[in-house]
Amino acid sequence: MDNLTLWMLFFAVGLGTFLVRLSFIQLHGSTEALIQRSKNVLMLLPPAILAALCIPAIVFSRPVTEYQVDPVQLLAAAVTILIAKFSRSVFWPVVGGMLCLWLLRILSS
Amino acid sequence: MTDHRKQFWLGVRDLLPLVSGVLPFGLIAGATGVSLGMTPEMVMGMTVLFFAGSAQLAAYSLIQDNAPFIIIMITAVVVNLRFAIYSATFAPLLGPLKKRYRLPLAYMLSDQVYGLCSMPEQQQKSDSERLWYLTGVAVSMALSWILSVVLGIALGASIPSHWSLEFTIPLAFLAMLVTTISNRQLFMVALISGSCAIGFQLLPYNTGFIVAVVAGVSAGLLIPGLWQKWSDRKGGDSRG
Repeated sequence: MDNLTLWMLFFAVGLGTFLVRLSFIQLHGSTEALIQRSKNVLMLLPPAILAALCIPAIVFSRPVTEYQVDPVQLLAAAVTILIAKFSRSVFWPVVGGMLCLWLLRILSS
Repeated sequence: MTDHRKQFWLGVRDLLPLVSGVLPFGLIAGATGVSLGMTPEMVMGMTVLFFAGSAQLAAYSLIQDNAPFIIIMITAVVVNLRFAIYSATFAPLLGPLKKRYRLPLAYMLSDQVYGLCSMPEQQQKSDSERLWYLTGVAVSMALSWILSVVLGIALGASIPSHWSLEFTIPLAFLAMLVTTISNRQLFMVALISGSCAIGFQLLPYNTGFIVAVVAGVSAGLLIPGLWQKWSDRKGGDSRG
């Protein structure tokens, strides 16, 4: 993707994101019913999106379309899940998973 | 006036401990952008325009996969749909403000702002106190996010590629996923969406991703109903 296209993308996403943030604030007063109706979907979206984003990239090594399972990545992910269960943050699970990944790569090479 | 200032600094103070989570995320966002071959100006432009770390990381991985423009755009905005919930939460507070205050504060809404400003103790304050507190949190959050990304860009070029730092992105999403899943229904949604993402990996233009999200959400909407029906029937059987 060339730089001009990327800039267009950034502006488009920036505008879209801003409109999402502004949505209910701008429409304040006329939206109670809509919020109630879309609550269910809004609640289910985060896990669906996050899972679709990360699961293929974790199970397969790049490029993911070749379906090459990478056991080292799976173990690193398991460590991340374990730490995330306890720490409830994003930082430490990522650090733990990456340390596990590097350690296993060094040991197996 | 002094009371307003006090609320503002209270917001700044409460955000400080959260910087430990913002900093590494910003470092990753900055360093990954540089590692994908973007100029520092582009990464900063993207950071300021998006002002949303997870959407930025999602966009990176799709740009890396050469996904088409429209898919990246939709995905990034969809990742940010949670902001609609925050927008709804703060609508009574920010909605009546003048445009020049309303728009910047809406732009600065984030997970951290939502988390801190929706705490029970904040609800007891007056509207103007809450507003100044929110402003303190939002401004200090914006500054710490942007500075973290700058630092990430500065360090990015000096990080060797065989460290596979880009793997921090799926790991970060995985960690977020684990913290999002608070009940069995949400776990099912993640399971189905993740499996579909693997199954439909070969669909062109990353449409597999959208299919997976739709499948996950639909399953989440349908399963509680099916479950109910099934247990009703079981209840009926045992009676008969």
